[in-house]
Amino acid sequence: MDADSDVALDILITNVVCVFRTRCHLNLRKIALEGANVIYKRDVGKVLMKLRKPRITATIWSSGKVICTGATSEEEAKFGARRLARSLQKLGFQVIFTDFKVVNVLAVCNMPFEIRLPEFTKSNRPHASYEPELHPAVCYRIKTLRATLQIFSTGSITVTGPNVKAVASAVEQIYPFVFASRK
Amino acid sequence: YAQQQLVCEACGCVLAEGLLTTTYTDEGQLREVSYSQSTGQREQQSRCLQRGIRRVQDLCKVLQLPAVFEETAVSYFRRALQLPAFHLVSLEKKELLGGCCVFVTCRQHNWPLTMGTVCSLLYAKQELFAGVFQSLQQELGLSVPALSLADLVKTHLGSFRLLQRGADVPAPFAEDKEKLVARTLQVVELASETWLVTGRHPVPIVTAAAFLAWQSLQPPGRLSCTLGRFCKLAGVDLPPPAYLRLKELLEILLRMASQLAWLRVFRLDKKTVVKHVGELLQHRVFLLKKAFCEQGEEEEEEEKEQGAAAPGEGSAGCLPAGQTEQEQEQEQGCSSRGKRRGEAARRPLLPPCLTKPRKRLRTAAPSASDSALGGDDPISDSEIEQYLRGAEEIRALQQLKAW
Repeated sequence: MDADSDVALDILITNVVCVFRTRCHLNLRKIALEGANVIYKRDVGKVLMKLRKPRITATIWSSGKVICTGATSEEEAKFGARRLARSLQKLGFQVIFTDFKVVNVLAVCNMPFEIRLPEFTKSNRPHASYEPELHPAVCYRIKTLRATLQIFSTGSITVTGPNVKAVASAVEQIYPFVFASRK
Repeated sequence: YAQQQLVCEACGCVLAEGLLTTTYTDEGQLREVSYSQSTGQREQQSRCLQRGIRRVQDLCKVLQLPAVFEETAVSYFRRALQLPAFHLVSLEKKELLGGCCVFVTCRQHNWPLTMGTVCSLLYAKQELFAGVFQSLQQELGLSVPALSLADLVKTHLGSFRLLQRGADVPAPFAEDKEKLVARTLQVVELASETWLVTGRHPVPIVTAAAFLAWQSLQPPGRLSCTLGRFCKLAGVDLPPPAYLRLKELLEILLRMASQLAWLRVFRLDKKTVVKHVGELLQHRVFLLKKAFCEQGEEEEEEEKEQGAAAPGEGSAGCLPAGQTEQEQEQEQGCSSRGKRRGEAARRPLLPPCLTKPRKRLRTAAPSASDSALGGDDPISDSEIEQYLRGAEEIRALQQLKAW
């Protein structure tokens, strides 16, 4: 196995978080009463609404800010967000779907080899931080991409970044370093 | 030349000339420089800083650290407290900050101090300590080297009552410190070579290794002693993961023992293998190579076995289109790997969580309908209706709530 030869790695996107604004005040009590699949958290001042297709959970605040989590792609996140906005429109609110933005993407990738974490940390300071007493994985931050990778000794890598492209670039960047510290 | 003085009717206090004025400009000219504008406050330390420095010094005394460590920790504390990230936090976090500074100093000087020890001294929650530690690293840009397991073994064993002369310990259980430290270091090295140390808390591994080493030095009187009793005799806390680490170490040792011809006859189990730990550690490099193999090597082995088992089949004839010989044999290898795990056959040296996975690995691919969703696709009304309650349902709910 050579670090330069083409390796097909499956990057599985497990979660996409997006936000949007409705540009109007939302009556949470009305949403809780007239919406289905809704949980009203009065103490915190928000409503949780779950959609079946796509499988996402939306957190709705009375200010009109909505956060959607659980999508497995950026397109799915946008579709889910729009569907939610339409539901709120149907409930009688003057919703305008604006300021949509994907804020976080979480993906998982499995390397075909195990990784020696102490060796990897030593050769990748200061980007890599490994505290076995706190967490079993090495935390590697790529500032340019604003991405964080958690590298486990089994070869599994969890990547979080602002979008899918950043996540893919992060995996590409980390591969030669983990390959050098493979078992 | 008499001056007009003002006298308080209640206490008889005489107001000096010029202290009461009628205009702001008079105030400005006559008043003294306020304390906050003077350099006096800057030179003086705030109470918070003084308390923090005292805490750092006390911590260094309790841990019996050299004076250099104390100076470094105090300088880190001073620098950190000036930053808004630490100045404007709760008192609880400020108390932890002192502990973090001591911890970082010890790690930088390769002094084996664990987070668990510092947290127990400060009566702090480890999650909070971890947060403050990571912020300190980030804000001050400190480089914290890894904890050296060898140094931790020496320090941890140094606190064992079993190894202290004059301690009230039964004769069969007392042990020489040098011998125990040497053997424990070997067991810990074996653990780190077999993926038992990576990603795990260090103290339970050291405790389990020390117990195993102690038992193996004089097996006759000690095999009946449990890990819990050993920790009580040693005067240390028993960390819960130590049982699991001990079990994993014994499994590795049993595998290694199966490769030694004169031990195979004995049919060793988890108790009896302890008697032979010395021999196994002596030949550990060779035994590990024999007992375990690289993942690629096992696939080659499987290939050879498959080839030997069915020489007449011929790989070319039974291959489905587009699949190579190696892939097919790898698949067969994977399916038979599980069956052969229980036997004495060589298995790959993997982290324990891979050999005994607790949960199924994520292999579900997204369904065709889900993947076809586009962000700007039109949404029909009927799709939205399912997320809204009907009028009857709303009425019923309101009645229920009213009731």
